[in-house]
Amino acid sequence: MLKFIVKRLFAMIPVVLAVTFVVFTIMWFVPGDPTNIILGNEWTEAASARVKAELGLDRSFLVQFFHYTANLVQGDFGISYITRAPVGEQLLARFPNTLEVVLGAMLFCVVVGVPIGVYSGVKPYSVFSNLTMVAGLLGISFPIFWLGLLLILLFSVHLGWLPSSGLEDGFASFILPCLALGGNYMANIMRITRSSMLEVIRQDYIRTAKAKGVKAVDVVIKHALQNSMMPTITVIGMDIGTLLGGVVLTETVFSIPGTGRLLLESINKRDTPTVIGCLVIMAVCIAISNLIVDIVYAYVDPRIKAQYGAGKD
Amino acid sequence: MNMEMKKPNEQQTTLEIKNLVIHYISDDEVVKAVNGVNIEIKAGKTLGLVGETGAGKTTTALSILNLVPEPQGKILSGEILLEGRSVLAMSELELEAIRGDKVAMIFQDPMTSLNPVHTVGDQIAESIEIHRKVSKQEALKQAKEMLELVGIPSERSNEYPFQFSGGMKQRVVIAIALTCNPNLLIADEPTTALDVTIQAQVLKLINELRQKYHMSMLMITHDLGIVAEVCDEVSIAYAGRIIEHGTLEDIFDHMRHPYTKGLFDALPDIGARRSELKPVKGLMPDPTNLPSGCPFHPRCDYAMEVCSRSVPENKWLSETHCVECHLYTDTNESML
Amino acid sequence: MDETIAKYTTRKGFFKQYKKKSRLQEIWTRFLRNKLAVVGLVIFVFIVLVAIFAPLIAGYDTEAIRINVPNRLHSPSAAHIFGTDELGRDIMARIVHGARISLVVGCAAIAFALFVGGALGAIAGYLGGKIDDVIMRCMDVFLCLPDVLLALAIVAAFGTNLVNLTIAIGLAFTPKFSRLVRSAVMTVRGIEYVEAARAIGATNTHIITHHVLINCFGPIMVQVTLYVANAILTISALSFIGLGIQAPIPEWGNMLASGRVYMRDYAYIVIAPGMAIFMTILSLNLLGDGLRDALDPRLK
Repeated sequence: MLKFIVKRLFAMIPVVLAVTFVVFTIMWFVPGDPTNIILGNEWTEAASARVKAELGLDRSFLVQFFHYTANLVQGDFGISYITRAPVGEQLLARFPNTLEVVLGAMLFCVVVGVPIGVYSGVKPYSVFSNLTMVAGLLGISFPIFWLGLLLILLFSVHLGWLPSSGLEDGFASFILPCLALGGNYMANIMRITRSSMLEVIRQDYIRTAKAKGVKAVDVVIKHALQNSMMPTITVIGMDIGTLLGGVVLTETVFSIPGTGRLLLESINKRDTPTVIGCLVIMAVCIAISNLIVDIVYAYVDPRIKAQYGAGKD
Repeated sequence: MNMEMKKPNEQQTTLEIKNLVIHYISDDEVVKAVNGVNIEIKAGKTLGLVGETGAGKTTTALSILNLVPEPQGKILSGEILLEGRSVLAMSELELEAIRGDKVAMIFQDPMTSLNPVHTVGDQIAESIEIHRKVSKQEALKQAKEMLELVGIPSERSNEYPFQFSGGMKQRVVIAIALTCNPNLLIADEPTTALDVTIQAQVLKLINELRQKYHMSMLMITHDLGIVAEVCDEVSIAYAGRIIEHGTLEDIFDHMRHPYTKGLFDALPDIGARRSELKPVKGLMPDPTNLPSGCPFHPRCDYAMEVCSRSVPENKWLSETHCVECHLYTDTNESML
Repeated sequence: MDETIAKYTTRKGFFKQYKKKSRLQEIWTRFLRNKLAVVGLVIFVFIVLVAIFAPLIAGYDTEAIRINVPNRLHSPSAAHIFGTDELGRDIMARIVHGARISLVVGCAAIAFALFVGGALGAIAGYLGGKIDDVIMRCMDVFLCLPDVLLALAIVAAFGTNLVNLTIAIGLAFTPKFSRLVRSAVMTVRGIEYVEAARAIGATNTHIITHHVLINCFGPIMVQVTLYVANAILTISALSFIGLGIQAPIPEWGNMLASGRVYMRDYAYIVIAPGMAIFMTILSLNLLGDGLRDALDPRLK
């Protein structure tokens, strides 16, 4: 298993490099001369040339990309055009906030979405099940940013229970952002869990379990749940990417100083190194979460675990 | 008429099904799966339930454990008596207590009947744990013995179903069914999904274990060869009814119903290799739209005017042999 | 001999025609039986009609664009059903005209993605081997970035005009379609009628377009419906963060962005535009789900 993880970690490197290349190429097309941004009012022909030489901007695309990746491997994301500070420092300051919001949203999705999905899949003809199905459909159709605004209207403006922006209030300030970011995916996870539970519950091995005299509750917990989790885990894995995309919106709505806001600010200020840094760190996150999903898979499904085991020999 | 009173001199009855009617009711159609089935199995005996796909055999079997798929499957009328106790009147708790203990079932498709995420040892032990109230270790130990009994090395109890072949899986399914030494074993086409060579082994195994533990058995099959090998009595099912019932000899040598005759005619005859098979003409009727009268009449070579009008009554031709056919309504003589 | 051939072909022709018609009808009846799907269809048709007849409902220059300060921040009334915004423009007029942008950009972007991604996926799936590897690895790289971020990066680099926005969103969805079409092609590829077509000497292009793609049509349509919903969501998300459709052009996302500031006192300003996005996405989701169920009789 350990060998597998290490192998997968190494396999991540080319993917991350490829993403970096794609992002770097796209950003190459940002119009205008970066020295205008760096030097501002002090811009002169000579100063521009000096800065370009200093940052290596006068070199060819491939050489620049090579330098960037070489530095990236050592954890150096380059220097911000605006603050002149290392991009890595800014990312380090902002990223934890993003991670907390994303993990909070994820937790909310799983803790609420999975049990509801399971229950409504086990009792597919009940009123509750039909209600959750409709709620799920409404839920997946909510735009994150609108849901965020509505939550602010209700819980901060109208009821005054929770803060509407920033992170100064600790835990309380995370509740609304996590709900807004997670609401959508919660509905999605609920729907997937429900439909996979519906599928699993009519499998032959469930009938075998019942014929053995297993109690109805245990049939669900011991026999159906683990089997029904596989599609859910896939979706959770895929959703981590979408959540990281959505975090840009959530951070905008709730004025949270995270990577998403940093990305937007940097795009507006044409601070290309920071933009690339933000996108790369998000891609790394997605790659890591995919790896985690694969590992969880192996624990849920013995068939996959056996494959890894075979790889060990 | 008191059901609880058992006549001491008579052989004990393990299972008695009376006039069972089960329909699957969905929004736009009613599937009439079982339409008045009568079955009786004496202790230690084996009854073969024979019929084509869709004759209601599996539904009948599931009803004995009260496991007809809900909510579409409805048991509309009838009675199922397990050693004199009505299964349909039992609470969920009582049902859980008999399932796997008093009555066990071997399912048709071993490929899908085992839970892919649990080891086979755990799956066998689960039954023991539930019904014998022993510790997990003890249950696992017994499960390993059970595996040996069905011819699988006990070391393999830690393996998962996907590591087993089809025949091995069916042995595991049999082990699960037999592990609590049930009084009644229901085998629902236990060999259909297997290779011919494996079929014989599995059948032999079931038969040996059944005799060893003196179990009654309901053997559901469409293979008359299997019936001849393991059964004491035979019921022929057609469109949710038992159209003919008798001892092995009654059915194999003195068949009365045209459908039963058709079934035997459809068998290949090794002695006459060049003779053509004579399949029963036509198809099984659509269970959502059964023909009027005798359900077999559209396919029957002997159909009379009365056959499309009324359902034939059950006619006892001897102590052991009965048939549902208008050919025998007024006479005791064989017309075939 | 000729007679037999004629009989055979006409009968087969008749049978094929008969079967095809009844299959579509069957799907349609199944679709109609699904109440939620019909609701989705009705809502979506309504939104499309509103978009088509937008100029008849409200003037673009006069009501949706022109600033009318004395009229600013009026609560919903008979004159302005959804009220007016911070610059005195009628919110209803802006939503109606915004529908045009959302639908056109959303559909165009997905058409782009379907065409480019579909072509790549079909080639990869049909030819297999090295070409398949190269194409799909490239697509995988794009899949590592969520579509909002990818579109965002493209728009950031190339600017935020309508065409760039459409292409950016289209590109963001391209890998999904290439995967979808590739797997559909792979399953159909091995089926006998494709083998038969190859045996009678049909060219690869002919086989891909006439046999393979036609049979993948159903599942692809389902995904198209769902992805159009996603694309519309992406447009309004980009506009909301200021990297999509720019003011003063009315778009649901940028209406929310500009209305946000006033929402504490004038909540209605963010209700109606958000509702418009929500209803559009919902109708497409219902439609997509309904189509999927109708196409797959197993799930009845």
